[in-house]
Amino acid sequence: MSTEPTSPDAASETGRRSGPIASLLQWIEGLSEPQFAYLLLGPVFLILSFVAFWPLASTFEMSLHANSLTEPLGEFVGLDQYVRILTGEKVLIRPLFDLDYPLQSAIVVTFLFTVVTVVFETIIGFGQALVLDRSFRGRRFVRVAIILPWAVPIVIQGMIFYLMFDPSVGFASQPLQQLGILADQPLNDSASSLLIVIVADIWKTSAFMALLILAGLQSVDRDLYDVAKVAGASRWQRFRQVTLPLILPAVLVAVLFRTIGAMRVYGLVVASDAGCSTVPTLSCLVVETLLSTNQYATAAAVAFITAVIIGVFVSIYIVRYAQEVV
Amino acid sequence: MSTSTPDTEDSGRIERWVTRAIYRPERLYRVLFYVAVFGFLFGTLFPFYWLFVIAVTPRELLGTVGLTPQAFHWQSFVEVFEVVPFHMYVANSIMLAFGTTAIVLVVASLAGYVFGRLEFPGRRPLLLVVLAISYFPPAAFFVPLYRLFAGNISLFGISSPNVLNTPAALLPPFTALFMPLAIFILTTFYAQIPDGLEDAARIEGTTRLGALVRVIIPLSAPGVATVAVLTFIYVYNEFFFSFLMTTGEYTDWSPLVYGIRNYQTQYTQLYNLMGAASLIGVLPVAILVAFAQEKIVSGLTAGALKE
Repeated sequence: MSTEPTSPDAASETGRRSGPIASLLQWIEGLSEPQFAYLLLGPVFLILSFVAFWPLASTFEMSLHANSLTEPLGEFVGLDQYVRILTGEKVLIRPLFDLDYPLQSAIVVTFLFTVVTVVFETIIGFGQALVLDRSFRGRRFVRVAIILPWAVPIVIQGMIFYLMFDPSVGFASQPLQQLGILADQPLNDSASSLLIVIVADIWKTSAFMALLILAGLQSVDRDLYDVAKVAGASRWQRFRQVTLPLILPAVLVAVLFRTIGAMRVYGLVVASDAGCSTVPTLSCLVVETLLSTNQYATAAAVAFITAVIIGVFVSIYIVRYAQEVV
Repeated sequence: MSTSTPDTEDSGRIERWVTRAIYRPERLYRVLFYVAVFGFLFGTLFPFYWLFVIAVTPRELLGTVGLTPQAFHWQSFVEVFEVVPFHMYVANSIMLAFGTTAIVLVVASLAGYVFGRLEFPGRRPLLLVVLAISYFPPAAFFVPLYRLFAGNISLFGISSPNVLNTPAALLPPFTALFMPLAIFILTTFYAQIPDGLEDAARIEGTTRLGALVRVIIPLSAPGVATVAVLTFIYVYNEFFFSFLMTTGEYTDWSPLVYGIRNYQTQYTQLYNLMGAASLIGVLPVAILVAFAQEKIVSGLTAGALKE
């Protein structure tokens, strides 16, 4: 399907028009398939360059320079920013990694948040997907109810959990304080706030997991279940031997997406009023470095460290578990 | 089960029930299934119920608010628009979501068509480059874009215009955030259209672009609709750039984020209005989810499984 000669009919079709448009169409028609592909990708990559590649390159360039309040770029220092941040020599607004204050260091907080939310979201999402995979009366309603939290704006998600856990109106803080789970002012305490933010994320994002896993479930060939049934497999055996292996790729992809998302968490921390000083995630660290200390270059370096951590995590994951699906 | 001592009526009944459950497990599964359904419904819907309780509770009763409303103060749903022009923030969000959706649809359709239907050297690397954009935290895009939109970057002596507080400062970062997913979903949709249809059109004598417009685009309409719904929801949900690129005044195109945040930061005692504002803010996406649930399900699944 590469360089086909223009057929007579096509010529007559373009021939009906005249002038530059017709000759442009003629020219496009004569392009080979790769040329045509690059022509169409032109505007796409032009826009992506402006909104994504240029900002990223520019941020990276900034991270190779010293902080400067007067000039757009300070003195060129190479990877010095990275070295000083990673060795802990550069004092950030919150430490990147400090085992003496685990819940104040960005990597520990982000890692805890990511692992706990992804594990619970996978389990709950799996359950929701199994429910949605069956047909029963009222399934449309149940499906809307399960998807709805995923569509709730982050700022409202934060507000909901603020209204539940703020001691002046929330019903949830008093009993949990008596059980010793939450502190007196839960949204000013790092451990309590992290717990609240985790619960809020599980509430909103399990549905996303459920939808991705549901896709895997629905692509399983129903005949396989019949075969297994005839062969005398119990319900549990059918699930364990047929369903699980077949939908594992879908689950792994869902986990991958959620991991990337969870490691970038920012809005929920602000919107739940816990705040970046109480729950300092990696994204929080970038924004706070930027806005409260105006150290643009340091913030840029932290942003790239975050991206590299995500990239490394994702690569390890892809290599170990998800090779066949990527 | 401690049914070994059947000395009462009750344990006898339990024993019978257990025996039946063992020999006819279908019944037990049915019960478990409905328990699970109601558990999930309770978990997902309870927070909305709580917003409702807070919203209809009069201010003087907020200190003792319980799990059921003590009074119904419906005026909250009117006051919420009077204290802060909340409807203007919602309108800004909706317009920004429509704008981003239009840009994303045009660009991602082109890219999806090329990646899904054409063979060319560099196809896979280019697709991976698009995916890699989504590894970066939004913060990595922020500083250069902010300086550009504030008019602080000059090229060949011409400095960029100051477009902060206009849609021009919000649409580009929104586009960058949601373009990768849109491209992946549309790549899948375009790839699923059988080659035969396009070939038939070409043999009939249609030009390449003619085949694209008359065959491929109509057939990919469901995919395009899905991407439109997802992009709209994502932009309406967005926090990072909505929060950092605008001043918080509705006249400056500040979206929903500030409509809600204004209550949390300026009117810190008006919890009932916070609840009312949150419920109203969810309404547009709730309606969208109710009408477009199939699209959402098929879109998320297509985009994910392609990768």
